[in-house]
Amino acid sequence: MKIIKPKGPEIFDIELEKDLLAKNRVLAKGNRRKLDQSKIIAIDIMGSIGSGKTSLIKALLRKLNMGEAIGVIAGDLTTTIDAERIEEEGARVIQVNTGKECHLDANLIHRAINGMKLDGVKILLIENVGNLICPGEFPLGAHKRVVVTSVTEGPYMIVKHPYIFREADVIVLNKIDLAKAMKVNPSQLEKDARKINPRAPFIKANALKGTGISKVIEALGLE
Amino acid sequence: MHEYSIASEIVSNVLDAVEKNSAKKVLSVRLEIGELALLNVEQVVHWVQALFKGTMAEGAEVKVKTIKAIVQCQSCGYKGRNIPDSRDIDQHYAAFICPKCGSPEVKIEKGRECMLRKIQAVR
Repeated sequence: MKIIKPKGPEIFDIELEKDLLAKNRVLAKGNRRKLDQSKIIAIDIMGSIGSGKTSLIKALLRKLNMGEAIGVIAGDLTTTIDAERIEEEGARVIQVNTGKECHLDANLIHRAINGMKLDGVKILLIENVGNLICPGEFPLGAHKRVVVTSVTEGPYMIVKHPYIFREADVIVLNKIDLAKAMKVNPSQLEKDARKINPRAPFIKANALKGTGISKVIEALGLE
Repeated sequence: MHEYSIASEIVSNVLDAVEKNSAKKVLSVRLEIGELALLNVEQVVHWVQALFKGTMAEGAEVKVKTIKAIVQCQSCGYKGRNIPDSRDIDQHYAAFICPKCGSPEVKIEKGRECMLRKIQAVR
């Protein structure tokens, strides 16, 4: 006798090839297209907490003296402190708060550039969240990437975070005036950087005083 | 530190795929993570499992295959492994320098992946 039994559960496989970082890369390409159409040069400024990213931006704004032709996207977890500091220099600023996220991503930049008046803007400076790891994994669509480190972070920052320094177009060693007091040898840091990234100009700077800022501007082709 | 956002992306992709395939329950998911990806695998697994709670993937096993790094030197043509076996702080730093000629012009061919490869589910 033929017995029809209830069907048991069917176990099956779903094969995928889902690259989890691809979505960001696609959005970053879209951002680049939009920036190129608007003839805007965008610079992603990355670096650890307290390395002097905001101070570098303020120094660049002072030196370039282009008023509202420079836009700044200030990324931070929850505060508007950096945006307020930058606004003092007369630039057009938009604050992007990431909440708990440790990096800006291409989607946040997409929203920022769509929510910002870009007419007349020639340069867009993007201050990433203070972090030497995660921003390296999330391109934003900027034309150039600057990594800011400082002597107060100790002598091993570059050796410990090679990925982000390798991807940098310009490396800025900030607070150079404090090197002696911190017992940090700037030449060794430069050697560490050269070893993995011989192409990026390595610029010693003191953003608060304006030392080295012309070199940063030159290296970024912003003259 | 971006393990949480990667985990959220994994979970939404898993739930999306099982819905499309009219599955009732997820038994396991398989990820592939490169050894040079800037991710802590344990944290990724922890967050995926935490975010699975309350969904049809609750309790699913999360398997991770590590993809070994392969570099290709643009100067001397060397192609192969370039990670010292010891897990010292120079590990990643050394990965960007050719072990044969010392050039930093190395292209990372493999080892930066972060992929969702397979879901085992019940219909």
